[in-house]
Amino acid sequence: MSLKENITYLLSYKIAGESLIKWNTKRAFKNFKPPKSWRTDILAPPLKTGVFTKEIIAKHYLEGRYVNGVKPVAWVTSGAPIEILKALGFYILYPENHGALCGARKAALEISEEAEKKGYSMDICSYARTDIGSTLSKKTPVGKLPKPDLLLCCTNICQTVLYWYRVLAEYYKVPLIVIDTPFVYDEAKEHDIEYVKKQLEASIEVSERVAKKSLSFAKLKEVVKLSKMAAELWLEIMSTNKNRPAPISVFDQFIHMAPIVEKRGDPETVDFYSKMLNEIKERIKNGVGAVKNEKKRVLWDNLPIWYKIKFLSEFLAEHGVSVVASTYTNAWGELAPMMEIERPIESMAKTYIYPILNRGTGHKLKTMEMMVKEFNLDGAILHSDRSCKPYSVGQMDQRIKLLNELGVAALLLEADHNDPRVFSDEQAKSRLKAFVEIME
Amino acid sequence: MLNIKIPTRKEIIEKAKSEGKKIAAIYPIHYPRELFRAFNIQPIEVWGPPKTDTKKANAHLQSYICSVVQSGLAFYLEGHLDVTDIIAVPHSCDSLQGLGSIFKDFIKPKQELVTIYLPREKNKENVKFLSSELKNIYKQLAEFCGFKPNDEKLMEEIKTEEEIDELVLKLYRSRENIPLSSREFYTILRSREYLPPDKFKSILEYAIMHASKGKLNKTGVVISGLLPEPMDILDVIDEIDGFVAIDDMACCMRRVYGKGNSNNPFKRMAERIINGTPDPTKGNSFDERFVFLKSLTEISRARGVIFYNVKFCEPEYFYYPILKDKLNKVGIKSLMIETDINEPISQQTITRIKAFIEMLKENKQ
Repeated sequence: MSLKENITYLLSYKIAGESLIKWNTKRAFKNFKPPKSWRTDILAPPLKTGVFTKEIIAKHYLEGRYVNGVKPVAWVTSGAPIEILKALGFYILYPENHGALCGARKAALEISEEAEKKGYSMDICSYARTDIGSTLSKKTPVGKLPKPDLLLCCTNICQTVLYWYRVLAEYYKVPLIVIDTPFVYDEAKEHDIEYVKKQLEASIEVSERVAKKSLSFAKLKEVVKLSKMAAELWLEIMSTNKNRPAPISVFDQFIHMAPIVEKRGDPETVDFYSKMLNEIKERIKNGVGAVKNEKKRVLWDNLPIWYKIKFLSEFLAEHGVSVVASTYTNAWGELAPMMEIERPIESMAKTYIYPILNRGTGHKLKTMEMMVKEFNLDGAILHSDRSCKPYSVGQMDQRIKLLNELGVAALLLEADHNDPRVFSDEQAKSRLKAFVEIME
Repeated sequence: MLNIKIPTRKEIIEKAKSEGKKIAAIYPIHYPRELFRAFNIQPIEVWGPPKTDTKKANAHLQSYICSVVQSGLAFYLEGHLDVTDIIAVPHSCDSLQGLGSIFKDFIKPKQELVTIYLPREKNKENVKFLSSELKNIYKQLAEFCGFKPNDEKLMEEIKTEEEIDELVLKLYRSRENIPLSSREFYTILRSREYLPPDKFKSILEYAIMHASKGKLNKTGVVISGLLPEPMDILDVIDEIDGFVAIDDMACCMRRVYGKGNSNNPFKRMAERIINGTPDPTKGNSFDERFVFLKSLTEISRARGVIFYNVKFCEPEYFYYPILKDKLNKVGIKSLMIETDINEPISQQTITRIKAFIEMLKENKQ
């Protein structure tokens, strides 16, 4: 830790940057109005608390610019057990979130091509291509990403991350912790959980060495507590969509889920979701729906199509369709009850083996069926995501089951979460239109 | 050319059935053959097969799932695995994980379904984990077969497989002196995918015995990937005076396991798989894979490496750019070819392979 890096961090981030961002947030909150391009004719105004999403994310990436040499930096997969790292004071970066941000800002293609030029196939995950492209070219819409001191890869979302993080470890020459989570076809077996627990315990030593400090279990419990609280709030926010009209669309959730992924375990995340929940409750009280003329309610399965959120949101809203539940956003809340503050490592082992992506295709179908019933849905859009095989395999059978056994309309929409080259506006429109007609 | 008669899969299945054996259809990649054999089960591996009509699989799998998995499912749906009693799906990648899950949750085969999770990282816990995983499979097979082979029987089967692994390595070492085309050589090696151990062993011994009777004066290459399918690829290499000197393929070399150390059969089986050669699906580091590939070229005196990648196979894709650079730095040229096992080899691919081998020949001179 050098004096120069510390001073730069203090001046550029803590004093100037953070204050400016907070001031901007305050101003935006006070003078809140929807952006000019917002379709107020068909959509409710954006959530006012959304200005805090921007603040949290802006601060996070701004801190990232100056954090090297000040705090240890870890790059982690989105489903990784970050509580240990948090308790050790790591700055945590999620390349997948950065990938999503690049996608939403329509920068992913240019960055991915940097990876493709080096020989990375177009057929590998577009998040990975975006991240590797950014690593190779340093291109990013956030200015600069911090270099990792440690990589943490957890296979509970896919096996792809294992190879991807091998690539990162090769480029950055830093330690890589792999938390290997056996796939759960039915229920996790005792030896599965024990295996994950042992790996978590072993990860502490490596993380401590990189952080140059010892883990405080009191701090770990505090982080687990905050992580659980935020996840429970997120779950509650999603549950509010059981109301008719649904107060917050899944497209809004895609945007506002960034803190639960990226800032889990921070007190400000708990505070943020508390505020958001209050605003949503207010909407419910006033009968405000995310889609003004909510006629049909549907489910979204799989990752968002980041570069088409606005397009999809508006097209569906025009037809009175509100997307009210999602297996994807639900994944960051559904496991919250499993976290036990007093038994952090044991409960983390159980919690992190059970994400929906680490479970069988039948479990996902059950989750969707439960959502159809609880959220009173008329249909389901299953995003068949070229870049995410573990999420997409099984969808063809799931779709048939939803259609035949629950009698809800179900559409398989071919796309890719970050690569716009495989998306056709016209084709999507015609398929969605047919889907809407079936529901009518 | 050697006079080797290899029984077909059909013949082996019929014979096994007539002997009262059960048949297990095993999907790629890693599994303990010895565990199945101890239950008097004949493993028959399902690597595609190539040139399968995948229409029926298209009702369950998207087009961006690799042809090995597509064909594997189509082959089942066409009824070609009806003769089997067990279907085993190792968790080799996200697509095979999905296949196992679709089998279990939606297709619900009449056969007993066995899934195998393979740990990804080399650490002190993974042998313990895999031992437990194999014990679970043992219990499942015991229930299904109605008997429990003892440790002695398990160890006997393990040692037979260890002996065969040694012979396979011996065959690889003699490759340059064996007067066989690449197709013939790999037809022998790949017959392990369905032959009983005694039969496979006798074929290996015969081939090794004839090792000194001819010498190949050709340009050797290493082929790396999942499997050499369609096998016409091997003919293309041979046609221009090249030959596959050795391989880094999932169906062959990557499953030649070393001896285990433990006297506990489950631990020993786990050690063998975990300590096997580097494999992208096991998540080995770039250095491990590079050192291994480099040593393969040195041992076999191969001049270059052909990465023969099945389209949509992510594990292989991720490793290629860095391995290519590392090999290039030590003067080993490489070529990347993408394949679909159900499609014929394109003229463009043939031209690229020929140009690559010509270049290797020129470098040699």
